[in-house]
Amino acid sequence: MQDFFELAVGAAASGCVYGLIGLAYLLVLRPTGIINFAVGEWAMLGAFGGFVLLTKYEWPYPLGMVVALGILFVIGGSTERIVVRPLVEKGAPLLAPILALLGMVVVYRETISSVFPPDPMPVPYALGMGRLEFGPVGGTYQSFFTIGVTLAVFTGAWFFFERTLAGRAFEAVALHRRAAALMGINLSRVMALSFGAGAVVAGLGGLLVAPNTSAYYLMGVPLAIQGFTALVIGGVGRVEGALLGGLLLALAEQLTVRYAPIPSGYAQGVPLVLLMVFLLLRPTGLLKAKG
Amino acid sequence: MVLAGAAFFMGDYHNDVYRKLLLWVTLALGYNFLFGICGQVAFSHFAFYGMGAYSIVIFLFQFHLPLPIAVICGIALCVLFALAVAIPSARLEGFYLALATLALGQLFIVVLNEGGEITGGTGGIANYRLPEIFGLRLRGPWYTAVIALLVVATYAVLARLDRSWFGRACRAVRDNPEAAAAMGVDVARTKVIAFTLTSALAGVAGMVYAFVDNTVNPPIFGIDNAFLLLFMVIVGGAGRHAGAVIGATLLFLLPFWLSPIVGHHQALVFGVLVVLAILLQPAGLVGIYDRLVRR
Amino acid sequence: MKLAAMLAAALFATAAQAQDSIRIGVITDRVGVSKPYAEPATEGIVFGANELNKKGGVLGRKIELLIEDDQSKPDVSAALARKLIDQGAVFILSVSLSPATQQQQTVTMEAKTPQMTPMNSADYLTTQLNNPYFWQTGPLGSVQIATLLAHAKTKSLKRVALITDNSELGQAIAKAFRAGLEKSGIQIVDEEVVSNGSTTATPQMQKIRGANPEALFVAGVVTATNVLIFKSYRELGLKFPIHASYNLSVPIYMTAAKGLVDGITFVDAYDPDKPEVKAFEAAYKKETGKDPANLHGYGYDGMMLIAAAIRKAGSADKEKIRAAMQTISYAGVMGAKGMTYVFPEGKRAGFDPNGMVVRVYEGDRQGRVVHVGQK
Repeated sequence: MQDFFELAVGAAASGCVYGLIGLAYLLVLRPTGIINFAVGEWAMLGAFGGFVLLTKYEWPYPLGMVVALGILFVIGGSTERIVVRPLVEKGAPLLAPILALLGMVVVYRETISSVFPPDPMPVPYALGMGRLEFGPVGGTYQSFFTIGVTLAVFTGAWFFFERTLAGRAFEAVALHRRAAALMGINLSRVMALSFGAGAVVAGLGGLLVAPNTSAYYLMGVPLAIQGFTALVIGGVGRVEGALLGGLLLALAEQLTVRYAPIPSGYAQGVPLVLLMVFLLLRPTGLLKAKG
Repeated sequence: MVLAGAAFFMGDYHNDVYRKLLLWVTLALGYNFLFGICGQVAFSHFAFYGMGAYSIVIFLFQFHLPLPIAVICGIALCVLFALAVAIPSARLEGFYLALATLALGQLFIVVLNEGGEITGGTGGIANYRLPEIFGLRLRGPWYTAVIALLVVATYAVLARLDRSWFGRACRAVRDNPEAAAAMGVDVARTKVIAFTLTSALAGVAGMVYAFVDNTVNPPIFGIDNAFLLLFMVIVGGAGRHAGAVIGATLLFLLPFWLSPIVGHHQALVFGVLVVLAILLQPAGLVGIYDRLVRR
Repeated sequence: MKLAAMLAAALFATAAQAQDSIRIGVITDRVGVSKPYAEPATEGIVFGANELNKKGGVLGRKIELLIEDDQSKPDVSAALARKLIDQGAVFILSVSLSPATQQQQTVTMEAKTPQMTPMNSADYLTTQLNNPYFWQTGPLGSVQIATLLAHAKTKSLKRVALITDNSELGQAIAKAFRAGLEKSGIQIVDEEVVSNGSTTATPQMQKIRGANPEALFVAGVVTATNVLIFKSYRELGLKFPIHASYNLSVPIYMTAAKGLVDGITFVDAYDPDKPEVKAFEAAYKKETGKDPANLHGYGYDGMMLIAAAIRKAGSADKEKIRAAMQTISYAGVMGAKGMTYVFPEGKRAGFDPNGMVVRVYEGDRQGRVVHVGQK
């Protein structure tokens, strides 16, 4: 039982990272309908940004974090401008930008691979290495930091979509592009912003997980798959779905390894089986979309 | 005939590349049918390739079945799995199918790795040879001829299907499932048949692959290749057989050409080229050919 | 960039006597999962070739390296092996994935071309196929565990845990570790696998903790995953000693795992006090301006072994080289003091079973050698 509490916080932190990646998918998916598999690579870029600014140049954490995320915003926006916009304007089928972004996965990964040595690079913890204990429940500073930041981001996202005019504009574009355009909503601005925001969120996820996993050029694809699974489980209809899905996925993964009487080699199959089950039985995810 | 004859004039190395190229073309043709003509995005094609390859090796050498029975068993296995995946997912929207098949592809690798004695685990299986068929030992360029035969046969089957009512039904399902249903097409059954058929074809190709290098191991069948297959069909031009051939040829040979020139950064250039190809010509390279011909 | 310059220098030097050069093929991985090991090993090979050429080459002929990238894709590997053979390579060095090396063997066996891996440590490479043209001089997994156990023997272990990652090599080494442990009559109370790409290893470590082992053997070879394991170890406040595979000898641990590796024992094939090693390090630094790591040494030794075999054979004929290599005895950079590479009666794994050393991390630095060989 004690193990469970010990796992709880760490699993929640992992789940938060998956949730962030899921949110990154969502931010691009809602207004544009494009599934952007490159979010994993964006997370990797966030991790490397952390390495360069925080480990190599030793900037103070808040400054490094903000700058790294700022760079990611620019990367996201420019990806949209260069790779996605031309296709959308040409009226290409929806599949085309999705595939172009898959191509970008390779481009991002290889760029990092060419610039940095292939070994994993250390990224510092936000608040240093230490633990907080609340009775039976305890976790590292990093876990709590991750959970806290994620909750803040999700609250912000929820607030944005539910309460602000700009958020409603996003929704409108998601529901009906033509009508949104007719009502004066600037489509290209919305798209660019959604990509930029998606990049920031994904990069944040990468930055938060990297102190544990290190930054290395192959970390993108597993994260992309885990984030996607989180989204499917939670449902694409609502922002909170990504977080819920992420938490469930992380808990399922880790509890299976800890408690299930199967050799841990097979435990890797758990997220995959979970994904397939959800897809077959409840593809819309756990949380239903609004209205 | 030409395809096979060419094999005899090439050195060992080129023969090897050629053989693998032909196999990729076979896969691409099948995938093109599934994806381009039938509109199903699936990442499991390569897993079936692997299933075919591993199953024939296991049936032949672990269970010691005679060759024809092993082949039939292998095909049966692929068909079974394909049905198991296709039937429930016929209800799924395009991209959920993509996800489910992606998961299937990865599960396949996990099973291969954990398979211990039966699958040879992470090292795979080697140390076997193609058994004699009617007393003939097929080696070298002769084997290439076999593969050429496979490509042609696959093409023939698919082209035939394409032109038949089944092909039309597939296209209808791809473009507008509701309209297709309204016209009396059984959407689910069409999808399932298309998926099972192309997966079985991939499995057969896999069986042939098993004897190209006489080795099977998990890294060969990873998901990177599943993505590559998708790229091939897209870049070449989805929906057109010629597109599959062009795409497969180009993307398979590209790393070999790039390597000497760009060395280190070959994968980066590859990625950039693929993105450019999609950007400039979403209809695929075959679209360029069309435009030229129309002039 | 240095690599490219060195490569250009090597090729340019041989271009003048192109028809007279001895061609050695190298199959490496520049973009895939083996890159962290393949890249430094290749640099070691290039350095070795350059050194040889500066002294006039082998048998008066320059060494020409033909380097190919197989992206850790075994079927591309096999095709590249054929390409190299067609281009006249008399020997192929494989520094990519173990399954890739394996797949290349089907080709080299058929084409009767000598092939060697100076680095792969999977035990099955010389046993799965009976290929008389293939040699392996990397430290076998079985040798690693035997050496570790010889050192740990003094602590009389009875119950241990084993952990690894889900990579192909990690599984192969775990298999070797398992066999070695069972042979010594040590009970494995728990065995765990951490997937590459996981965000934590805590559940696995919790299970291990629950089984109460006296020590933990780490067979994993993916640095990022091992770092996860060590982090969980510290987080859970575990105290039992850790004995690790040769992956821990990779220098990146000193930066990527700061504060985590103190006290871990690991096997290495590199003894920094060995005179050959000191000479190698000095020469390498002089030529390239960088410090080499033990990984470079593997490649360097591979190149030198081939040169020694060619010299012994007295010609670049593949059959003569094969015969020469099988009977060679060469002392290289890697291995404990006084170790030579030898291929005993018909076997083709040449790393002396007593040639590994056990070292301990002291603080964040790779520390002294505490044990040699299997005695």
